[in-house]
Amino acid sequence: MKKFLVNIAVFIPLSVIAYLFLLIFWGEIVPDKYRINLIYKSPGYGHTFSRMKEAKEAPLTKVLFLGSSQAYRGFDVRYMFQEEKIFGFNLGSSAQSPIQTKMLVNRYLDSLSPKLVIMEVAPTIFGRDGVESSLDLMANDVNDKETLKMALKTNHLKTYHTMIYAFYRDWFGRNEKKVEKMLKGEDRYRKNGYVEKKMSYYKHTNRYEREVEFSEKQVEAFNDILAKLRNSKVPYILVQAPVTKGLYNAFTNMEEYEEFIKKKGPYYDFNKFMNLNDSLHFYDAVHLNQRGVELFNRKLMDTLRLNEL
Amino acid sequence: MLFNSIDFAIFLPIVFVLYWFIFQRNLKLQNLLIVIASYVFYGWWDWRFLSLILFSTLVDYFVGLSLGKEERNGRRKLLLWISICVNLGFLGFFKYYNFFVENFTVAYSFFGNPIKADLLHIILPVGISFYTFQTLSYTIDVYRRKLTPTKDFISFAAFVSFFPQLVAGPIERATNLLPQFYKKRTFNYDLAADGMRQILWGLVMKMVIADNCAYFVNIIFENSEHYNGSTLFLGGVLFAFQIYGDFAGYSNIAIGTSKLFGFNLMQNFAFPYFSRDIAEFWRRWHISLSTWFRDYLYIPLGGSRGSTGFQIRNIFIIFIVSGFWHGANWTFIVWGALNAVYFLPLLLLKRNRNHLDIVAKGRYLPDWRSVVSIGLTFFITVIAWVFFRAENIGHAFAYISGIFSESLFDLPDIRNFHQFVLILVLISFFIAAEWFGREGKFATDGLKSKPRLVRWGSYMFLVFLIGMYMQTEETPFIYFQF
Repeated sequence: MKKFLVNIAVFIPLSVIAYLFLLIFWGEIVPDKYRINLIYKSPGYGHTFSRMKEAKEAPLTKVLFLGSSQAYRGFDVRYMFQEEKIFGFNLGSSAQSPIQTKMLVNRYLDSLSPKLVIMEVAPTIFGRDGVESSLDLMANDVNDKETLKMALKTNHLKTYHTMIYAFYRDWFGRNEKKVEKMLKGEDRYRKNGYVEKKMSYYKHTNRYEREVEFSEKQVEAFNDILAKLRNSKVPYILVQAPVTKGLYNAFTNMEEYEEFIKKKGPYYDFNKFMNLNDSLHFYDAVHLNQRGVELFNRKLMDTLRLNEL
Repeated sequence: MLFNSIDFAIFLPIVFVLYWFIFQRNLKLQNLLIVIASYVFYGWWDWRFLSLILFSTLVDYFVGLSLGKEERNGRRKLLLWISICVNLGFLGFFKYYNFFVENFTVAYSFFGNPIKADLLHIILPVGISFYTFQTLSYTIDVYRRKLTPTKDFISFAAFVSFFPQLVAGPIERATNLLPQFYKKRTFNYDLAADGMRQILWGLVMKMVIADNCAYFVNIIFENSEHYNGSTLFLGGVLFAFQIYGDFAGYSNIAIGTSKLFGFNLMQNFAFPYFSRDIAEFWRRWHISLSTWFRDYLYIPLGGSRGSTGFQIRNIFIIFIVSGFWHGANWTFIVWGALNAVYFLPLLLLKRNRNHLDIVAKGRYLPDWRSVVSIGLTFFITVIAWVFFRAENIGHAFAYISGIFSESLFDLPDIRNFHQFVLILVLISFFIAAEWFGREGKFATDGLKSKPRLVRWGSYMFLVFLIGMYMQTEETPFIYFQF
């Protein structure tokens, strides 16, 4: 028995070390499509790399936008600057859920020191596992202890693998020469975090009824973000950006969701304030096209002015 | 509790420590611990069905004791039938009730008397087909006076519920497993190390091979009407690897886990896809079930003795019953019958025992004749697997006619090309490992004679392979549904 236990005790730490080396080796030599549980796409989808790079050099920001792709594709900071000369920065990222938003707030709130935070709160964000967005941020932003906290919270094999590989890339300067094209497919990165999509129109498809889901850890992260903003004395508003009517009406417990979100702070559901057309103002069920973005941002500015924000 | 779950990764070391460090000195306590651990293991899924196992255990224990005392043949037969009726009664009710009712109403309606019968919402208890057959082997062997009935209830309960093989086998014989509960077990390093090696390979089979094949298999089988012949054939091939990786993987983990506790279970798979004919395949696939049917059904029916017609009848009975054992669906019955059809020429030409040795033993590569016969055997097995996987008979026939269409020679319609290439690479690695390990009990068995550096390096690589290529959602084993 002693020999067995000693061998186990030696094998486990050795295999952990071997595992780490193999993980890095795999990350370096095997193309990303052949690594199921190590997903490191940099520069990835949604221009996160360029956005995060810019965030580190951005001047003091008046308005900071947070949220998923509906944020970085919906809040056009150029419009705000043209109209009001307000400098805004969009820190949205693909499939961002409160766990990732919390990390970004912890990482960038002090340096950007916004006067107002606008957080996009699509009903889907509380039901996400947060893996996709974690991987995106690990691969496209610098990694620090906040990354570790986020990985622990997400608690997924892919997240742990990608985190280890991301730390290795950071520590060995493997990302220093990385550049991202401003135009990728139909996406063009505009300044301050906004991504503009080539103009197209939504072709209606059937939407099936679904419920807004609440994951405990996402709600906890969400509460932490709001507490941090309150402690830092940064006012915030919660915004639901417009989605197609088909999708909006597919949620069977929207009232329950609104009850929940209204308790958390000032909340504006632009689906109720605006009457957009599914075919004319969207390019898919969730995202506004540029025509819709302009209307939405105009309405947003009006709302902010009206509420003296 | 699933072998490929975090729960089991915590459960196993706890039971191991209690077993070898706390209860080591007392055999009865060790056996009691196995019973408790087994009930916890099973109850993790649904504790209500523990009563079934307990009831089955009690019935067979007392039937066994009575058989030991009873000398009158009539009474002995009656006792045996009590055990058979209780065990097969459970199985019949939980597994086959709806099937029979459904088919009865269809048959009745066919003759112009439509009737309406309500089906029951029955949950099939996990592993019921396995543990009922295991306890049946006990009462039958006691009846046949091959085994002395046990008076030790705890040992018997541990034999029935032994957690490593409780839910998906191997279906152990009382003559092999029960006596192991009577003997004091001392920790054996070689056996435990062997067990760990086997568990690791079982996890690779399940988590790397089976679960990744399942991704394509599900897509292809669920949308089979949209795919061309070559894609459908590929779906069948991938299912062959999925079912093998899944089931043989489970068996390896079960046997390996038993070794950690000082038990030796029978080998359940012996590299079946290297078989050169279907008879060899059935000697190498799900050995514990095949031999169960051989010993308790085929031989009592007369086996290969008697007239040709008699032999044909026996072959069909054993294969069809074996198919039906897998599930209450005509697809399994046809699958069994098809295997009987495959087997028959070999039996009639007396060539069913041509290949008793290991293919290309002592050589790296097989000769061309072996390659051709392995390929052909695999091909007909894949066709039979289509029935096993299909939703219903109509689906299976449509799938097979889809395979044997002109589009069989078109390029496969693979939507996720990179993932497909990846699974081909993983399967190639798997086949190579199985081929070079075919002279052992499992693919990595041969590693034990290698230097430590090679051995440990291989284990570490396999651990990494699991971590990198496992599906992150827990996927149950296919055979749990049987």
